[in-house]
Parts: sequence; C-alpha cells; structure tokens
Amino acid sequence: MCFKNLPIEFDADGRPHLRGGIANPYEPSTATAPVGAPVQLSQSQIEELLAKNGHIRSVDFDPVTRVAGALAFHSVVDTEERKVLEARSMATLFRGYEVIMVGRDPRDAIYITSRACGVCGGVHAATAAMATEMAIGCRPPPLGVLIRNIALALEFLYDHPLHLFLLAGPDYSTNLVEQTNPSIVDRARKTEAPNAEIHGYRTIGDMMDDMNPLSGALYLEALHMTRVAREAYVLICGKYPHPQTMVPGGMSSTIDRTVMNEMLTRLTQFFDYSKKAALFWDDLTEFFYEVDPRYRKVGSRRASMVDTGIFDDPDAYDATYEYAGQWGDRRWATPGAIVDGELVTTDLHTINIGLEEFVEHSYYDEWAGNGKEARYPTDPTGKPLSPYHPWNKITKPRPQGQNWREKYTWDTAPRWDRNAMEAGAYSRLWSTAVAQKLPDNPFIESTGTSLKMRIPKGALPETEIEWRVPTDWNAFERNRGRAYCIGFTAMVAMNNWLQAMEHMKDGNTKTSTKFEIPKRGERIGVGFWGAGRGYLTHHLLLDRGAVSNYQIITPSTWNASPTDRWGQPGPYEEAVMNTPILEESTQKEGFMGIDVLRAIRSFDPCMPCTTHIHNGDNVITREINTCACGVD
Amino acid sequence: MRPVLVGGVGYRLLRDYSAGVVVTDRLEQRRWPDHVRVQDLSFNPVAVAQQLQDDMAYEPDLLVVFVSAAARGRRPGAVTSYRWDGGLPSPDRVQAAVAEAVTGVIALDNTLIVARQFDGLPEDVAVVEIEPKVESFGEALSPEVDEGLDEVVRMVQTIALDPSVVRSLPLAPLGGGALPRVGHP
Repeated sequence: MCFKNLPIEFDADGRPHLRGGIANPYEPSTATAPVGAPVQLSQSQIEELLAKNGHIRSVDFDPVTRVAGALAFHSVVDTEERKVLEARSMATLFRGYEVIMVGRDPRDAIYITSRACGVCGGVHAATAAMATEMAIGCRPPPLGVLIRNIALALEFLYDHPLHLFLLAGPDYSTNLVEQTNPSIVDRARKTEAPNAEIHGYRTIGDMMDDMNPLSGALYLEALHMTRVAREAYVLICGKYPHPQTMVPGGMSSTIDRTVMNEMLTRLTQFFDYSKKAALFWDDLTEFFYEVDPRYRKVGSRRASMVDTGIFDDPDAYDATYEYAGQWGDRRWATPGAIVDGELVTTDLHTINIGLEEFVEHSYYDEWAGNGKEARYPTDPTGKPLSPYHPWNKITKPRPQGQNWREKYTWDTAPRWDRNAMEAGAYSRLWSTAVAQKLPDNPFIESTGTSLKMRIPKGALPETEIEWRVPTDWNAFERNRGRAYCIGFTAMVAMNNWLQAMEHMKDGNTKTSTKFEIPKRGERIGVGFWGAGRGYLTHHLLLDRGAVSNYQIITPSTWNASPTDRWGQPGPYEEAVMNTPILEESTQKEGFMGIDVLRAIRSFDPCMPCTTHIHNGDNVITREINTCACGVD
Repeated sequence: MRPVLVGGVGYRLLRDYSAGVVVTDRLEQRRWPDHVRVQDLSFNPVAVAQQLQDDMAYEPDLLVVFVSAAARGRRPGAVTSYRWDGGLPSPDRVQAAVAEAVTGVIALDNTLIVARQFDGLPEDVAVVEIEPKVESFGEALSPEVDEGLDEVVRMVQTIALDPSVVRSLPLAPLGGGALPRVGHP
C-alpha cells in the first residue's frame, strides 16, 4: 500500500482503485495534510514575532531579472537562536511553454521545449520525443534507444561538474569560507585528506584552495570537462544544448564506428575524473561533519524524493504506456518514489497516478475542484487519476501582486501522494541502489543499500567507488550524491556504448523508425525521463494531430514549489527552515547567509537567478546562478 | 591581410535583442574576402572562449568584431563602436558572468568578460553595439533599431574590410565608457 494520503487502494492483484464511500475523493479541502509534514508558521504568528523581537528579521534573496528565469527567496531569521522561522520560494517569471505548445504539431515540442533550459535542452527534446512516440505509437529501433541514452548521459557529464565546481563549489572554497567561517580554513590546512592518493590533495585546505572561483585548479578543470562532454554530445546531437537529431522514434544521427570511437575517446576522460570527484566530495563532506556536526542539518529535510528513471533497455522499451511499468523497471536508473527514506514504489504507473499539481499559492487560476469533472478520470489502463493530474490540468496564468497568505510564485506545487518531494540526480542513485533491478553488467552493482561502481583504469588504476544510501539527508549529501553520479553516468554510458557496438557489428545500424502524425482522434502520451537534476515529465494530449494540452514538470518545479494548501512547505522552503545559521558572524555588516545559500544551491536550482540578499538597508550580494531550466 | 572574425551575439526572436544575430544573418549573405569570416557567436560564452583559444593558436593576429544589442541607457537605436580595453570587473562579477554563461545566458557583456577571463580573446577586440528599445518575444525590431542597423552593418563592414581601422576606434571599457559615439570612427 504505497499511498497514504490519496484516496487510492490496491486490490488483491495489486490493481489500484478509488477508495469507496467518498463522494468527492480528490477534493483537497476535505483531505488531511500528509502525516509528519512540517507546516509553515502563519503570517500573523510571523508578524507578531517580528514586532516583538529585534533579533528576528526578514532576509530576502531578491532577484535581478535576466532574460531567462529567476528564483527569489524570502525568509525570516532568528539571529539569536540562529534559525530560520519562515521560508518562501518564489519563481519570478512566467515561462508559458504549456501555452505556447497548444495548437502546434507535436514535433515542434522537441525544438520549442528544449529552449526551457540553457544547460539541459537535450533532456526536454528527448522527453518531448518520447511523449510523442507514445501518443502516436512509434517504437524506436535498439540503436536509436542506445544512442539516445548515450547522448543524455553526455549531457549529464556536462552538467554535474559544472554544478559541483563552478556553481556550488565556490561556497566551500577558501576564498569564501575564510570570510564566513575563518576557523574552518585554519583547521582545513591541518587536516589530511583521506583519499589523497586518488584526488591528489594532501590536505582539506589544499582542496578548498583549488575550489576558488576563476583561478582554482578544480574550477578550471571542470570548465575543461564541460568542453569534453559537449564535444562528445555534438557528435551525435549536432549541437549543444539544443539537439537537432532527437525525433519521435529514435535519433536522426548517422552513427558509424568513427563517431563511436570519437565519442569513446571523450567518454574515457571521465573515468579518472569521476573517481577523483566522488572521493573529493567524500573527504570534503566528512571534514565539515567533523568540524561541526550541525552541518548535517544544513539543507536537511525528509528524504522524500521522486524520479521517473532514465536510460532505457532497448529490448524492453516499446514506447507504450501500457507496458511502462515493465520497461521502467528495466531502466539503468530505476524509477522510484521515496517517502521519508523508504522506497515505496518503482512502478511508473503508480508514480504517474500519484501525481497532482496545486496552485493555491501560485499565479494561476484553479481548473479543478468545486465538483468539476476531470477530463481523464483514469489513465489509459483504467487506473484512477486526480483532477489535479497533469493530463487534467489547464494552465490558466493569472498575474497579480505578491502576498504570502495567497499567491507568491509562478511555480506550482506538484505533490506525490500529497507529499512535497524533491528531485535530483541523487534520487536516481537512491532508487537504483535500493531497488536492485540493474541488469548484469561489468561496471555497476546495486546492493540494496548502495551502488558500487567499478570505474576502469585510466591514468589511475581501476577503482571501485561506492555510494551508500545516507542516514542524514542534507545539502552535503546532495552534493556528494551528485559527485557519485558522474561515475554512475559514465558507466551507464559505457554499458550503452558497448551494446551499441554489438548492434552495429550485427548490422543493426538503424537509429529511427519512420512515423506519421495521425490526423484523427485524440491521443495521449507522456515522456518519463530525467534531467541532470532529476525527474522530468512531459504530459501530452493530441487532438487531430495537434497539441491540445502540454504539461511539463521539471526538477525545479518540485524543488522550488511553494507551500501547499495544507501549509506544507516546498523542498527549498523546508530545507531552509531546517538550516542552522553556522556562519560565524550574524551582524548585518558582512553577513553572507552562506548556510542558507548552501542549502538552496545543493538542489542545483534550475533557474538562472542573480540573487541578492537584502538585509534591511544592507545589501549583501551572492549569486544563485544555475541552469535556465524553467520552473514552469 | 589580418584575419577578422565578425561575431554576432544575441537571442533570436527577442525583438531588439536579436540585433546581433540579425546583423550576422545579413552579413553572411555577402561575399567576403578570404581574411573575413562571419559567425553567429550566440552560444555559451565559455564555448565561445574555447573556440577563440583554438582560433588564436592558428591566427595569433586575429581581430574579433563583436556585434550586439546592449542596453546602456542611450537613445534607442544609438550605435556605439569602440576598441574594448579588456578591463574586467570585480572577481565576483566575473564569477557571476561565468555562472550565467554555463547556464545558458547569452549576452555581449558576459561573452566578453568570460572570453577575456579565460584568455579567449586577442589583443584587438572591436565592439559595435546598438541600444535596444524593446525586449519581448517576436521577430520585429523597433523602428529605431531597425533604422540603426544599417549603420551597424556599415561600421562592421568598414572594420572587416580594413582591419587597420580598429586602431582608430576609441579605446574604451565595456559599453564604450563615457562615449557614446555614433557614426564612423
């Protein structure tokens, strides 16, 4: 019984159905908040605290709007108790891909939705292609599936180093830490790094020196590695970040041995890099825990996360919804819904029917409730769907003023079984590690509590690294998980490369299946895929060959989501509320808010947001820049 | 003749902010002497820097001419051209430019800053900017920018055909400093 909050039960054969005896089973106003969920303080409570206590003050992370999207953050901090009392996450721009897509040929989605992101356009293109191939019934040939897997793995190999060393990394660099916590830098210089043999740094201080932005060796190396991944990616996708070769039914690339070999020479450069990155973040994380165990609380929240899995088995993937449960389970990254640290399902149908999207605090009008009938009361296999499910959603933007009690963001509040779930590269590690559904292969092993990765020899010897399901869930573990994802992704790519070569040896060189867009009737599809930052779905409805509804949920839709109708905060909000202020000075002058920033940035927030901290009249500037993937 | 790369920077379908790519499209239609090439440089500035590093290995005396819309508070449609002095802002601002660059923000300033920071620019860099008026989705330029574009094309053509002209351009910081200047050098 994986649903605890939705009105869904399972029969003896494991088929879900609506619980009987409830007049309006999905009516959220009658539903209760998920058990154990934290709740934001009410606005009147906050106002009272602010009025009574001088040491409680508002700290706003306020965006400077750029061409792409933006994230802003409002919080109320008790500087005496060193804790955050209130946190509100705001997406400040409406993107409107859902509106742009209506009435178009579904093939346009590949190119249009790719523009949702300046880093991971390929994942949107792939997800759009998959939604379309499900809607029109078009199964890609094996080599098409394998090449698509490799392409997206390469995109992640661009993405992960970028986040670890260019965006989040500087928060742990000597230059920054000596401003916020100088005593840590002193201790780091005297602390030997346990994995020096692999990553080459004798002390933690040496590591932090090379994380310095612009000049640190790790920073510059990450810049170089993004080039290596990008070069490999364009060999099969034509250009980066918006591929030209993703099509429903596979890939339009011409793949020969030269392309495969050129790709391999670049992929192998990630072998040593992935060993160093994983063990580097191991050492850094353990050092901070040792310095002050309260770092385990920075960015902490319930380990509740969702992932649709990624990297298909070409023998299993048939592009149908009917068999999504089967082909989902055969993926290299197993789909999963994890609630409070427990993997409750790996079934893509169950993940899909558990999904709802709410807009109480978002700049949209309701489309459901008040007894309105859902367009799709069930999915194509007859399993119950909420009126708040993306296939039933209608995007109705309603710009208005900001009000914490009412509307304050352009992001929506997606929930799974009404839980605020987070998404991340680490979510796929977690579900894959616990589910133990990986096929036999030479490189990756799922143990039930960990993922072991045997990374082949490069300049460094063959090395086994092991990511263990963490006992604490916080900012450091998100970064550590992402670092291990470099090795995981590289080994998935390697497995797919080997399979692709076998297919080519056998003469199976076809990479796409011919298709036509049916001009009659209504069709339904969904792309279940993943971005570098985790979960990604595109839900699609076609009416006589044109898009009649298109709904995108990105990782940041989950992570940046606002407080929901039950008062349950979104993941950023919850993580910030749980973050202790460990910065050594909390005086207005010089306060950087580094702990809060580490908490938010650990999610790899998927919006380019030049963010300032406004602290009364004192403006302290730090940027939370990251990829341009939209929250809406 | 000294090699010249003319590079447009901007977003397509963003009205006046597309000026850089609109100019590039126009210039690509023309027949150019061998020493001139025209390229749309509207992509990740880190990748632009890496490409230019490679280019300069073969063409150490390369002259790069950047063309773009850039909001500086001038009269809409005003054209400013200058030889960039290569001065970088504070390290925090450079880091912000890198972060924007790797996450998909394409703009003249972050392209120049990132490329200079990572040794991706030659000594001589000419910049031809036009002041935009409208930032919204669409193909149409504002009348002011549409009118100014001919001047931009003339200016770029003058520099590209005779690279020595770059030395007569005013040496200025990003945005042209206290200029603006309109018209030929």
